[in-house]
Formats: sequence, C-alpha cells, structure tokens
Amino acid sequence: MHKSYIRRTPLPEAPIWQKLAGRKGRLLAMNLEVTARCNNNCRHCYINVPANNQDAKKKELSFEKIKDIADQACSLETLWCLITGGEPLLRNDFEEIYIYLKKKGLLVSVFTNATLLKQSHIDIFKKWPPRNIEVSVYGVTEKTYEKVTRKPGSFKAFMRGLNLLLDSGIPVDLKAMAIRSNIEELEQIALFCKKKSKSPFRFDPLLHLRFDGDRKRNQEIMSERLTPEEIAVLDRQDYLRFSAMKKECDNPANKVVTDNEKSFLFNCGTGLDECTIGPDGKFRLCSSLLHPDCVFDLNKGSLAEALRKFVPVVRNMRSDSSEFLESCRKCPIVNLCYWCPAHAHLETGKLDSRVQYFCEVARLRARSLEEQKVRRSEGRRTEDGDQRTEDRGQKVRK
Amino acid sequence: MNIDSVYAISEDVVAHEIEGQLIIVPVTSNVGDMEDELYSLNETGRGVWDRLDGKTSLRDLITQLSEEYEASFQEIEADVFGLMKELLKRKFLVEIPS
Repeated sequence: MHKSYIRRTPLPEAPIWQKLAGRKGRLLAMNLEVTARCNNNCRHCYINVPANNQDAKKKELSFEKIKDIADQACSLETLWCLITGGEPLLRNDFEEIYIYLKKKGLLVSVFTNATLLKQSHIDIFKKWPPRNIEVSVYGVTEKTYEKVTRKPGSFKAFMRGLNLLLDSGIPVDLKAMAIRSNIEELEQIALFCKKKSKSPFRFDPLLHLRFDGDRKRNQEIMSERLTPEEIAVLDRQDYLRFSAMKKECDNPANKVVTDNEKSFLFNCGTGLDECTIGPDGKFRLCSSLLHPDCVFDLNKGSLAEALRKFVPVVRNMRSDSSEFLESCRKCPIVNLCYWCPAHAHLETGKLDSRVQYFCEVARLRARSLEEQKVRRSEGRRTEDGDQRTEDRGQKVRK
Repeated sequence: MNIDSVYAISEDVVAHEIEGQLIIVPVTSNVGDMEDELYSLNETGRGVWDRLDGKTSLRDLITQLSEEYEASFQEIEADVFGLMKELLKRKFLVEIPS
C-alpha cells in the first residue's frame, strides 16, 4: 500500500482536465447566463437589456429550473460553472443560486461589473469561496467609465464594489474591453488592473455584435470598434499577447484539414466539453453561437439529450459555399482571425460568410509577426557579423 | 483519534467521481487549505473514503480492508491512521458521537 494518501494539485494543473478534455457527451464546464438585464448601458455590450425590462425578467430561468439544470450538469460530471449575465447580481435570488451551485461541489466563477456588490455578497463569498470573480474595468476615471456605461454614478459604485472585494481577499481577475470610448485610457486601465490584481491583465478588442440583432445597437458597437491598424498596434505592445498569438499561429493542429473535413463548419472544440445556457434556458455550444439551428431548448429536453444527440448534429453541419471553402477554410492565418461560424453568424446572419473586418485584423497581425521574424533574423545576422569580426580580431592578436 | 470512533464525510466537502477518479472539492472556507487546489485520493484512500459512512468504526473499517487486501491488521491500521490524520487536518471529516 502507498504512503501518500491525498494528492493535492493546483487547479489549472490537475490531470483530470486532460482526462476530461474532448470527451464526447460529458460536460466539463457550463456558463450560466442568469439574466440578460444590466444596470449599466455599455455602448459595446452584446447582450444587455435595461434592468427594469419586465419582459426579459419574466423569461429568465426560475431558481427551480436552474437547480434542475445544475443537478443534470453534475450527473454529467461537470466541475466548473460560470455565473454570468447581463449583470447576475441583479437577480434577487443570486445568493441562493450561488450557494446552491457551491453546495453541489462545483467550482464557481462569477462575472460582474461589481457595482451592485454588498457586504452580504462578500460574507457569502468568504464563507463559500468562489473559484474567482471577474470584474470588467471600463475606465479608471469617472469620465471615461461613465462614457462607456452611460450610467451616472456607476464609477463610484464600481470602485466601492471592487474595494469591497479586494479588501476581503477574494480572488479577483480584472479585465477590459479595448473600445473607441476608452482607448485613450487603456494604458492607465492596464496599470490599474496590474496594481489591483495578481492575475495577468487581459483586454479584448473584439466587440461582438448584439445577440438580439438590434440594428441600432449594432451600429453603436461598430462605431466603438478599433480599426485593424489600432488592434495590430495593441497586439504588438503587449508582449504576452503577441507571444501567445505567435504560438497559436504556429500551431499546426489548427491548420491541418483533411478533404473529408474541409466542408465541416466547426473546426474547433465547440460543444465538446463546455456549453452556455442562456437566460431563457436555451443551450448553446458556445457563448456566441446563437444561430437558430444551433440552439437547444432545455425547457423541452434534457442536458444529456443536448450533449449526446444535439451537439453531434451541430458539429456535423457542413457548408457548400465556395466563398467559405475557398477563403476562410483554406486561410493560412485563420488562427490569427476572429472568424468562426458563431461570429460570422452574428456579423452576417450566415455561419459560413467571410467578414472583411476580421480578415483585415488577421492580415495585419500576420504582417506584424512576419516583421518581427525579419527583425530577429536581421538581429541574428548582425550579431553573427560582430562575432566573426571579433574572432578575426582575436586571431590577429594571437 | 480512537480506533472505535466513527467518522462521516463533512458536508463542507463534495466528492465527485470523474472518470473513475475521486475528486474532493472543498465548498466552504472552513475546510481544505484555502488554496486553489483539487484533492484526489489514491486507491487506498479511496477504499477508506467509501467506508466513512457515519456508521462503521475505524476498527471495523480496518478489518474489512485487511481482508480485502489480504494484509495484516497492523499494516492496514498504520495506513488508515495516516490517511485519517490528513483528512481530519483538512476538516474533510466529522466525528460521529457514540
């Protein structure tokens, strides 16, 4: 018999993730959108509806239904659950939902804007520790923050909520969206986040279009998007981001597609071990995949049916569009691109259409990587030249 | 720790059986080490964990395991006590009053 009885493993390194990854019909992680409502009105948001929207509130999953879904998820060996929205703290029963998921033994994360946090939330988080709390930082001055949120008083509420979290020692990850309204302040936002949180600062310049397809709001979102040139500059300035991009670009797994596979729409891992449940109980393979043929109503069927019967049908979807087959599917820099069927659908209404904006971003990213390669090889040549001169000098001296 | 004591798994932890492996997740801040870690048990640990039902004494548990593993009572006792110490230190168990 062995003498080591308990194995402690840091969560990200636990061997169980590798064991679980890619298993069909099992669900490792579940994103639970408990509401689409939000107390802010961010210019770039793809989902928010006003906090007092009664229609949206009526459609939200009841606590009983959420418990039922969580029970089903646990029977499918789910380990991780993200509570997100909209703003999840808007739900009067947030605390009950959170504690129920924790009592199920799930690792629970929460995405929040922090503006509604109260001491009672902190007390619960301290007793039932979350895996992490992720807070979005829209700006570090009242002017910029509220330019984005369009909600007077939101900056003060955000700072108060964030400080409550930080003062209590609860693990907080800070992140930002890089958008037109806060781009001038992005550097200060990064410094703020690095100072306040131990986790690496992350920002995202990809603004999704609206899940509800609202045309006016989509115009607003597009006007908040940075230009491809601006995105390429931001990528280059962020060493970790740039390195990750380079690694992704060099990853051959994402490039090899057999003849039989080339017409498959989904060349990613969508739906294999993770899903999103919308506020109305609609199962999605990933957060952005809202095409009507790709959603499954959990009010009419079980999570196991969704995973075992519905997901394979979606993953088998093919395209015969020559535009898709000859462009995105063959594109050598697709790994640098925001393109995927879900994003294509949000942008164009079709799962297999090209998106010009994404192409431009990917092209500029590829050019940046190429330029870096050239600079490095020139640097090496210069170093080699210097070394040869030095060697000759030594020989002469000898 | 007494050999005639009876223990049960605390309500502050949840054990998941995933791919045949037992994963213990602390759910409150009272248990574990408050670090970002998962806990799993080896085969011996698993045999003990499954018998911590709030009814079986440690003596009975060791007897059952020594028969199952065809090992001496003393040998199993040392392993069980070692594991119990670790589980109790992390408050994964509660003692059931006699």
